[in-house]
Amino acid sequence: MLPLANILARKVRTTVAVLAVGVGVALFLVLVGLTSMLREIADRTTNVDAHIMVMPAGGPALLLGGGLPADKIEARLRAIPGVAAAIPVLCWSLNMAGRDQNAFGIRPEDWPYFAGPDRLVEGRPLAGGAEMLIDTRLARAGGLRLGDTVERLDRRFTVVGIAREGVAGRVFIPIDTLSECLQNDSRRATFFYVKTAGPAAVEPVREAIANLRLTAFTLDEYYAKLANLLGDMNRVIGAVVVVAGFVCFLVILLTVFTMVVERTRQIGILRGIGASRLQVFGLVLAEAGIILAAGILAGFLLTLAARAIILHVQPLWTIDIPAVRFAYAAALATLGTLLGALYPALRAAGQNPVESLRYE
Amino acid sequence: MHIIVETRGLVKVYRSDGVATPALGGLDVAVAAGEFVSVMGPSGCGKSTLLYLVGLLDTPTEGTVMLAGADTRGLSDRERTRLRREHIGLVFQRFNLLPTISAEENVALALRLRRRPVGAAAREMLAAVGLQDKRRRRPEELSVGEQQRVAIARALVTRPAVLLADEPTGNLDSESSDRVLDLVARFHREAGQTVLLITHNDQVAARAERIVRMRDGRIIAG
Repeated sequence: MLPLANILARKVRTTVAVLAVGVGVALFLVLVGLTSMLREIADRTTNVDAHIMVMPAGGPALLLGGGLPADKIEARLRAIPGVAAAIPVLCWSLNMAGRDQNAFGIRPEDWPYFAGPDRLVEGRPLAGGAEMLIDTRLARAGGLRLGDTVERLDRRFTVVGIAREGVAGRVFIPIDTLSECLQNDSRRATFFYVKTAGPAAVEPVREAIANLRLTAFTLDEYYAKLANLLGDMNRVIGAVVVVAGFVCFLVILLTVFTMVVERTRQIGILRGIGASRLQVFGLVLAEAGIILAAGILAGFLLTLAARAIILHVQPLWTIDIPAVRFAYAAALATLGTLLGALYPALRAAGQNPVESLRYE
Repeated sequence: MHIIVETRGLVKVYRSDGVATPALGGLDVAVAAGEFVSVMGPSGCGKSTLLYLVGLLDTPTEGTVMLAGADTRGLSDRERTRLRREHIGLVFQRFNLLPTISAEENVALALRLRRRPVGAAAREMLAAVGLQDKRRRRPEELSVGEQQRVAIARALVTRPAVLLADEPTGNLDSESSDRVLDLVARFHREAGQTVLLITHNDQVAARAERIVRMRDGRIIAG
């Protein structure tokens, strides 16, 4: 009762402190959520029925444009013992739903490598010509439906299929059509997916591809490379987490310290009417705890609001925040609050009651 | 005669920046259970220091305070807090109440700090001081006299052996002052409440059964 009453007696200061804790919590959660975008791309890119990615020597560079002569490289790859399929992909950037998308140019017959039969939720796979297959996320974000036409690269593409999100690209176009649009003389590829005869063949095939002066990664290695980027990002987030925790600590320290100083005489009265040092200590911590609880709640609400706003503005972004991250954020705020409240609470508990009662 | 409070050779010297300021110079006072005693003297004579020492809020430089038969010399802060909770009710001159909670909550707080059940005790105590209708009001919504009556209710709700009052009427007009003193006198008369009241006012001191006069940290009469 008393801690809550004390907190509510200073509404503006309490609100500022609660918001400061809340912003720290939200900052942590939204940043963590944004890293899921890279993971989602890595998941998608490696979600192919293949084992190896083949790129021009020196790769992985920007996965865009036709650096490889598709037919020639395909023939070389297929000649390697243990290769079951070589799947050329020509990537090009298309602006869809307000954001540049890595469009995958593929041979229509290669579609089964990218998706099982149950992934196609509407329409049919690509057949050729000015056709486009998109995923559900892009369909939603761009307001696209089956049969809609999209004018890109001086062509009018028709949406013939919509696949459930999770396929390698958000946009698929027949590779020959994309090559024509890019005015390539022959079919070109940005990279290849290679399917081997089995897991045992992966390593020998990879070594054989390396002898062709091409760069080859297993899909696991490629995923790991993207995950390394995630690691760098995690370090940035770690720094932000430290800053957020420190801000939380400072705000609580300042707020609670001010509360203690301005209530010096009240603390003397409390001691006079029978409060022990421990009870005074507990009272101050309880007040900090109320700010903390409200701050965490505000942080969660701010996070949900920020996520909704970001996804409204950038519908193709991915912000996944697992429940455990909310627990981490709460733990971080609790740590900052406890540390921030500790000194003022100790100071309040240690106050000389007589000096407190004489305090003007 | 049962002595409830006794000071023996009580000396208090305040030290600040190496300067020693004597406040009490060897004070011997005894208060019997059920007695109403005023301690009177000019400002700075050591009255409040005596009250803080008897209330176990401070420790003497020399001498000791015997409270309910217990020698308080050498007790830890925790032990002094326990004794204060068990035997002492305190009323200060001003800003006595916690401003963020109601009158009833202020009274109940004294019980809560002692982990005693509140029940209807706080309400009954407020009724006893004539403030049952204002129990939900915050201190700022009460007159200064009413605030002091709430403070008395808070001090007595725990049924302390001794009520210590430090200039309880110092900030009140004469009418409010009379009501507060009547209240203290009534608890003393009807419930046998032991009262040690600090004042510099002759008329206030005269309400007690016995007056102890102080000057320069020493007892000069009583």
